[in-house]
Amino acid sequence: MSLYMPKAANKVGLVLFPAFDWCISPSHPEREERLLYTRDQLIEEGLEDFDNIFFFNPELAKAIDINRVHFCVPSPEELMTDSHFISTGGAIRAAKAVMENEVDKAFAMVRPPGHHAMQTVFGDRGFCVINIEAIMVEYIRRHYGIKKIAIVDTDCHHGDGTQDIFYNDPDTLFISMHQDGRTLYPGTGFLDESGGPSAQGYTINLPLPPQTSEEGFDMVMDRVILPILDEFQPELIINSAGQDNHYTDPITNMNFTAQGYAQLNKKLNPDICVLEGGYSIEGALPYTNLGIILAMAGLDTSHVREPGYKSENFKQSQKMNQDIENLCAQALSIFQNRQNTKKGFFDKNSVVKRKQIFYDTTGFQVSETRIYHLCKECPGYTEIIAEGLSQHIYGFSVPFNSCKRCQSKARDKYTKTRPSHDTLTVLQDRPADIFEKK
Amino acid sequence: MIIGIDVGGTHADGVLLEGGEVVKKNKVNVNQTNLQDGIVTLLESLIPEPKDCLSEIHLSTTLCTNAVVNEEFEKVGMFIQAGPGVNPDFFSCGEYLYLLDGIIDHRGKALQQPSNDLLKSWTKELKEQNISSIAIATKFSHRNNSHEILIRDQLNSTFRFISMGHQLSGVPNFPRRVYTSWLNSALMSTFAQFKTSMDKSLQEMGIDCPCYILKADGGTIPFDHGCNFPSQSIHSGPSASVMGALALYENIGDALLLDIGGTTTDIAIFADGTPLLEPYGATVNDRPTLVRALQSKSIGMGGDSCVIFDNNTFVIGPDKKGPPMALGGQVPTPTDAMIVLGTVETGSKEKAAEAMLLLCPQLDPTVTARQLLQSFVVGIQNAASEMVEEIFSRPVYTVSELLTREKIQPKQIIAIGGPAKALQPVISDCFAMNCIVPKDFEVANAIGAARARITAQASLYADTNLGSISIPEVSCHEGIPSSFTMLAAETRLAQEISLLAEEMGMQEAPAIDIIEREEMNTIRGFSTTGKIISLKGQIRPGLRTFEEVI
Repeated sequence: MSLYMPKAANKVGLVLFPAFDWCISPSHPEREERLLYTRDQLIEEGLEDFDNIFFFNPELAKAIDINRVHFCVPSPEELMTDSHFISTGGAIRAAKAVMENEVDKAFAMVRPPGHHAMQTVFGDRGFCVINIEAIMVEYIRRHYGIKKIAIVDTDCHHGDGTQDIFYNDPDTLFISMHQDGRTLYPGTGFLDESGGPSAQGYTINLPLPPQTSEEGFDMVMDRVILPILDEFQPELIINSAGQDNHYTDPITNMNFTAQGYAQLNKKLNPDICVLEGGYSIEGALPYTNLGIILAMAGLDTSHVREPGYKSENFKQSQKMNQDIENLCAQALSIFQNRQNTKKGFFDKNSVVKRKQIFYDTTGFQVSETRIYHLCKECPGYTEIIAEGLSQHIYGFSVPFNSCKRCQSKARDKYTKTRPSHDTLTVLQDRPADIFEKK
Repeated sequence: MIIGIDVGGTHADGVLLEGGEVVKKNKVNVNQTNLQDGIVTLLESLIPEPKDCLSEIHLSTTLCTNAVVNEEFEKVGMFIQAGPGVNPDFFSCGEYLYLLDGIIDHRGKALQQPSNDLLKSWTKELKEQNISSIAIATKFSHRNNSHEILIRDQLNSTFRFISMGHQLSGVPNFPRRVYTSWLNSALMSTFAQFKTSMDKSLQEMGIDCPCYILKADGGTIPFDHGCNFPSQSIHSGPSASVMGALALYENIGDALLLDIGGTTTDIAIFADGTPLLEPYGATVNDRPTLVRALQSKSIGMGGDSCVIFDNNTFVIGPDKKGPPMALGGQVPTPTDAMIVLGTVETGSKEKAAEAMLLLCPQLDPTVTARQLLQSFVVGIQNAASEMVEEIFSRPVYTVSELLTREKIQPKQIIAIGGPAKALQPVISDCFAMNCIVPKDFEVANAIGAARARITAQASLYADTNLGSISIPEVSCHEGIPSSFTMLAAETRLAQEISLLAEEMGMQEAPAIDIIEREEMNTIRGFSTTGKIISLKGQIRPGLRTFEEVI
């Protein structure tokens, strides 16, 4: 409205909640100081006075929002601090702002992050307890009837939690680009992790070599992500906007930049961004966050540069270019063959998968068995049996896009299961928005 | 005794106070192009006998507000150092705008000096153009003022008026800092001329008591300090009315203040008896600034606003199309409704009734009048709740603030201004709250100016890891030991604010409020390297006690 301030081409909502009074532990990367310099930069830039940029406080998520996605053992309240309810509520607030047309796009700059939190939750993994994007996605589906959603995870770590939650959902396209799992936590995110039996090809992993710079990220955007999005035609695009691919990040080995993040978001054009990791709190985050915001707003990003950055220091080798080219070609073909691979499972009634999940923050292991009940009409419901820290859970999860038959099958099975003193038995029925336990 | 003068758009009000009592009051017409004549006439009528009973003169003047409204600015050479971030090409500060290189980062680290050669060539250019006013603003100068000072030192001997961003406010917000320093320099020469001619008149009248200027934050500064900070005198009118309400009615608590005028209604909010401030500063003719200001919201509805009845609702304002019909105007106004109801006794009652019939031909004029005034107040009510909502929605950054914040719930309403008395019952009714119209409300602004006290504020940013402290308002940027603590920071800031107040003539500074407090450990690797302490302190806007006034 002011002639004296910039006007954003797109209305952008920002949920900036640095939680200055919360940390995992005082010297942990996920500590009070993490978004201090980001807040300082954004406020000093005067974004609050820009035309078409709006700031929102987060709301508090409710247990029902958490239970729509997770099986928390023993319960959300036992595992989560106020800060988790707020960061999830921050993502929900951002989504509401977009879905209710208060703004065109929104960015939840909240902490703690969430993309390592899987469907079953026994504690903190990779700084995450609950998956704030996944909860936001199911909130959007529940309240606004949106079906096809693409999540592009640009954090340097594989978004293994988000992958786990949407692994068997062909209406959620999950793409993660990250530093190769052989060289970084959580050690997953390879090409062959490409979706559950009902969603083959809807999980796309792009493990990039250490030292990948702007060039490499441009390649995966242009050759894989944009073409796939073009074909998938999502109703919403969400960026899991981790910023630890930055060349100054202390716990990763990549060479990405603030300019790079800004350009990536211009190309990706996400409806909602949710902050994930990023631990170069002084040298990167103030600039990467600003770059992302300006890109979302459609404002000039050309002056967003780290002091002292020199592009000539970050040239990729010929060999690296070749490797990334190959990676791109393979990833693309996984998506292109998604219908064919699905057929391979049609003659089966169910598929069983087992995995071990390591909780690194306090150091314990969870064993999980997942039985995908297949269906020709829908993705089918899932049975989950997990055990860790001497706690057991037996859960039935009915996806939002389930058919009526699978929904009632899951309920029958839940009803018939006899309660046991050492096992939490749970029914998570997303179409009916019901969460029951015994 | 103390004289308070409030210069308005068409006339100036003045009071002579002894303690809390109005001893004399007067009103004169003013000519906006020659304010001092009106002010001098008013002063002459108010001066007590003997003259030395007069201890202070407080002046709320439209001098700078007028300059702003008419965009009558001195040309300013504006030096901006933006560093990395938003492209600074949006700044609109006239034709002499210079973008310097150089970087100060978010922590106040000076990473790159501005180019000396560029500075030299631009200085030459400004000299050739006979520019005498300069403004300097660098990004993050509230954390580190060294580049603003460095640039100032290059220019000092050559230019008469120089403003530096860090001295005007310690609040972060670079675009506002730029506009504030530009505005300040653009007004300096106008203010200096006004001061010179006022000094001369005062001398001729034989008055040598201290003279203070009212600021937008409800406080005062000495006249000569005003020469360095003329931007602070903008929007002093609304602050005079807020301070007036405070003076005229005790026990305000949580309340709304409505200043209902002819064309606009200004709304302000008190929380626990203290008027609320804008989070950053006033918006001055569309320019966002860091000029500390009381929060007020102006809506385009007043007693003389034109009214139409459209689609079963009354549309009031924002235009004014001449006087009320009862006073010979052409279009119906809320004042006509008040005349119909007999709550205002002026003009022709018949014409007023005609006005109501013009709006709703089928209805009895008194019914229309009642409905019209009700929609008028509902309009005010909606704006007030928006304002409360905006205040509640201000960003918070900690879990505890988010969980404990509470919405202000005004418990009463203070109404001042021409139509206040007539609207009192309707306001009470609609808001379902007690509505008070204080006595002497017609000179509330002059009383507010008279009773206002000095305000001062400063902010402190200490980084024990970098070993530096910055208190921008007093141009402090120096070293501290790594053992520096929050307690030391609070003590230091309180001292600086008291000193500021003393320099301005306050004998004994009241308690200093620390209004914002942040403390954060800095950790690199896995060990604590220091802490960052950030504070904001103030002498809050308030009234002088009677003992001080006498």
